[in-house]
Amino acid sequence: MSPARKKIYTVIALAALFIILGVLNNVLSSYHMRLVNLIGINIALVVSLNLTNGFCGVFSLGHAGFMAVGAYVSAILSLPLAKKAVVLPNLPAWLGAIEMNFLASLIIGGLAAALCAFIIGYPVLRLRGHYLAVATLGFLVIVQVVFTQLQDFTRGARGINGLTQYTNVWWVWVFACLTVFIVWRIINSAYGRGMLAIREDDLAAEAMGVNLTLHKLLAFCVGAFFAGAGGSLWGHLITVINPLSFSYDRTFFIVVMSIVGGMNSITGGVAGAAVMTVIPEMLRNLEIGVTIGSFAIPPLYGISQIIMAVVIIIIFITRPKGIVGTREFSWDLLHRKASKQTLEE
Amino acid sequence: MDGNYLLQQMINGVSLGSIYALVAIGFSITYSILRLINFAHGDILMIGSFCALFFLVSLPLPLFLAIAGAMLCAALIGVLVERIAFRPLRSASEEAMLITSLAVSIFIENLGIMTVTAQPRKFAFPQVFSHTYNLGGVSFSNMTLLTVGSAIFLMLALTFFVKRTKLGKAMRACSENIKVARLMGIDINIVIAAAFAIGSALAAVAGIMLGGQYGRIDPLMGFIPGLKAFVAAVIGGIGSIPGAVLGGYALGLFEILLVGLLPVDYSGYRDAFVFLLLIVVLLLRPNGLLGSVEGRKI
Amino acid sequence: MKKLLVLVFSLIMVTVLAGCGGQKEQQASQSQSGGDTIKVGAIYNVTGAQASLDGPSLNGFKLAAKEINEAGGVLGKKIEVVSIDGKTDQTSSTNAASKLVDVDKVVAIAGFSDSNYALAAGPIAQKAGVPFVTSGATLPSLPDQVGDFFFMAAFGDDAQAYAAADYAAEALNAKTAYVLTDTAMDFTVNLSAFFEERFKAKNGADSIVLKDTFKTNDQDFSAQITRLKALSTKPDLLFISSGPSECGPIVKQLREAGVTIPVISGDGFDTPLLVELGGAGANVDTYFATHTCLTSDAENVKKFVGAYKAEYGRDAENAFAALGYDTMYLIADAIKRANSTDPKAIRDTLGQTSGFKAVTGTITYADGKRVPQKSVSILKVVDGKFTFIKEVTP
Repeated sequence: MSPARKKIYTVIALAALFIILGVLNNVLSSYHMRLVNLIGINIALVVSLNLTNGFCGVFSLGHAGFMAVGAYVSAILSLPLAKKAVVLPNLPAWLGAIEMNFLASLIIGGLAAALCAFIIGYPVLRLRGHYLAVATLGFLVIVQVVFTQLQDFTRGARGINGLTQYTNVWWVWVFACLTVFIVWRIINSAYGRGMLAIREDDLAAEAMGVNLTLHKLLAFCVGAFFAGAGGSLWGHLITVINPLSFSYDRTFFIVVMSIVGGMNSITGGVAGAAVMTVIPEMLRNLEIGVTIGSFAIPPLYGISQIIMAVVIIIIFITRPKGIVGTREFSWDLLHRKASKQTLEE
Repeated sequence: MDGNYLLQQMINGVSLGSIYALVAIGFSITYSILRLINFAHGDILMIGSFCALFFLVSLPLPLFLAIAGAMLCAALIGVLVERIAFRPLRSASEEAMLITSLAVSIFIENLGIMTVTAQPRKFAFPQVFSHTYNLGGVSFSNMTLLTVGSAIFLMLALTFFVKRTKLGKAMRACSENIKVARLMGIDINIVIAAAFAIGSALAAVAGIMLGGQYGRIDPLMGFIPGLKAFVAAVIGGIGSIPGAVLGGYALGLFEILLVGLLPVDYSGYRDAFVFLLLIVVLLLRPNGLLGSVEGRKI
Repeated sequence: MKKLLVLVFSLIMVTVLAGCGGQKEQQASQSQSGGDTIKVGAIYNVTGAQASLDGPSLNGFKLAAKEINEAGGVLGKKIEVVSIDGKTDQTSSTNAASKLVDVDKVVAIAGFSDSNYALAAGPIAQKAGVPFVTSGATLPSLPDQVGDFFFMAAFGDDAQAYAAADYAAEALNAKTAYVLTDTAMDFTVNLSAFFEERFKAKNGADSIVLKDTFKTNDQDFSAQITRLKALSTKPDLLFISSGPSECGPIVKQLREAGVTIPVISGDGFDTPLLVELGGAGANVDTYFATHTCLTSDAENVKKFVGAYKAEYGRDAENAFAALGYDTMYLIADAIKRANSTDPKAIRDTLGQTSGFKAVTGTITYADGKRVPQKSVSILKVVDGKFTFIKEVTP
């Protein structure tokens, strides 16, 4: 298939996606729209994590830490002045007088996360495997502790609440598509080839002239940027952020989504995010307790997590590389499949 | 600040460090053979403490029998978890194993909440253990002595086992190179099961000591010690048993001393300093304090 | 092997889908039968770190619903409690609130013992115009932050902290105090802040000799205790701002280390765990300010204590159980007075609640405030039992 044709297909598919989203936005209840939005945010988070963890082989457990940085920075910058004076009265004067629009605060939040990634990544990225995982987990803990302690900026454990609910379907899905596009461009560039080489064998890659530090840092910082911006979108959807919002649970959950879907593939990231956002909500129907009259069906709270755990284990036993594995969606693949089908007919 | 104050904090630190060390050993043994980061290890600790509570309260067994029974139960569950969740994944990636261990952890924790409720339970040792000695302003209880003593005893026993027995030697061979060990006729399934059994039994002891010291246990109690033990194992050099012990004591001492010695305004930053130190240790010694430099494939 | 697993996997999925389908049918049949039940939503974090607080709240809430239904229900209809697990996660909690409002169409929602979750879920109910009553969150500014559909069933942190400070200064003659705070919970942070404010106002700015901290789920307090013992001037009072899970171990470790200074705290201490885990330590001069004394002879208190034990086979785990119980009755009372299941009408009558006799004290929303004026009880641990000392009306 010619590249021009692929491009047309892609544009058509995108247009179709947004038309569908527009229709859904008018048809679905706000509960279901909330899930659609969460899927979008999770896609951005997981795909950006796949860039570092999957494509570059830098196994990071710090994604929730970057989310926290992005969410807090953008919340502090975009909070309406009147609210800011009440919620965060002890901010330095210049910070207390800033009220940015959401886009600017989102970008600055992402940049702040990327800056943190640069500072922590520069020394830490030379570590390997599980040592790196622990160091990035350490970063997450440090971020949490600092945000708990910096009362003047973050209100500590009490958290910042009353964020304006800017996040809607358009913000989320434009952002998700942008993330997928940029990650896709990176892995198909010379930098991306370098990253894949590092993942397969860093010694050989270095011998071939791939600059390890540069490539790892690039992947780490780009991943952190999208995590930060995604964290900001999440914060402005939930409208409350506190240090516990970005805890081990969150980081592990993103990693689970990434690996369940297949961390060496963008398609895998998208699939993982969608599946792992929807299934727990579906499982919820199993544990709704209903009490009518004196007749009560006792709800088994925790059963949805238990089933989820079993499902994850079964997925790995049947598909050790995740649902999608290392394959990637492409128009060629689709074309081949379609023509094969017509041949069979 | 006087010497007594420092000494007191050191005793507190050694006591906490003993618990971390016991959990970290289990972490390291399974890692060295399977390259598995087992986040469910902390939950085995929780199961061990609940078993002990059951034996102590419902059956009234004597303390040491109850501890032995809890170790046995935890070992069985550890082996069961390996058989069901980890064995089918032997050939899968390290990441898949890590996520599987998280899934096992979620499974056990929620099963715990469903069966024994999330309420903390009272976990009391016989009265003698809360007897406190006071030597020149420094106080410690029988419980502290029991914790440190049993940790040291178990570590010595483990060292003997690993160095002198046939199974122990097989275990060391597997951690060197599992493929070659298999070719040499070692039944790796038995070795791996033994590794899980030993690690889980040690975790059960750690859980019982935690419960005894602080008087309470609950279904979510295992996660933080499990995570800390992971950190301790990494500081010491993951995969090395002496490293896990060293890492455990270093982490315990460091945590307590930080809270004790930092000015009050900064003691809230404890965990940040702990992990900062961890990062610094790793930067200076990328394979941990006692870790071996892994052979790199070329 | 693989085929077997695929089979198991598909079986699970089929079960889940069937479960969903069944649920839908059930809902359909209910709406078709003309709505002979009144749906009241409940969001509690019954799994995860908050479970030990929220589990008892939900138990209390359901117990009250059961009692109301056995007595004939409200407006001739039965109350149907639709409870969803918030999973101690803000994403799950907000999803749950949205589901209750949009899918289950409940007339009112109750829930949470922690303001961080109430602040996340509350605005969703506010936006949809459904009254939200938090049974256990005690941040006094909550209703103002969320809006006019948000109510609290418990008194604010300020009320209990002030009562504790007053009692310490007046009855215990404390001139200086030590404050130990759990910095990971907003409840404990606020409680300490209000206590310090009041205590300083009474005894001067230097009256707090040391402020120390710990984090939820810490189990080892030896470092803090050692530092307390190293103080050159011993404080007259220890204010321990902790949740129910840590209060016992703190008191136990304090007393075992030989510290016998009086301890005072808020409703976080109102749990049998204080005595169970604190052991003999809790009997040494331990006071706390809370909603009510569950050993009191008042008719409704005795009824609640007996009914809870009969239903769940154990004593109420902490103060949150009684608060959950009261919240259900509070909502039912408002529905009754509104004589309607319209959420707006229920909100209006809820706001007019006056002199409502609850287990945890009398609830009145005065002057349009949605934080109740309630009395605070000071209790002391005597021989392992909570003993009523005095009642303070702020």
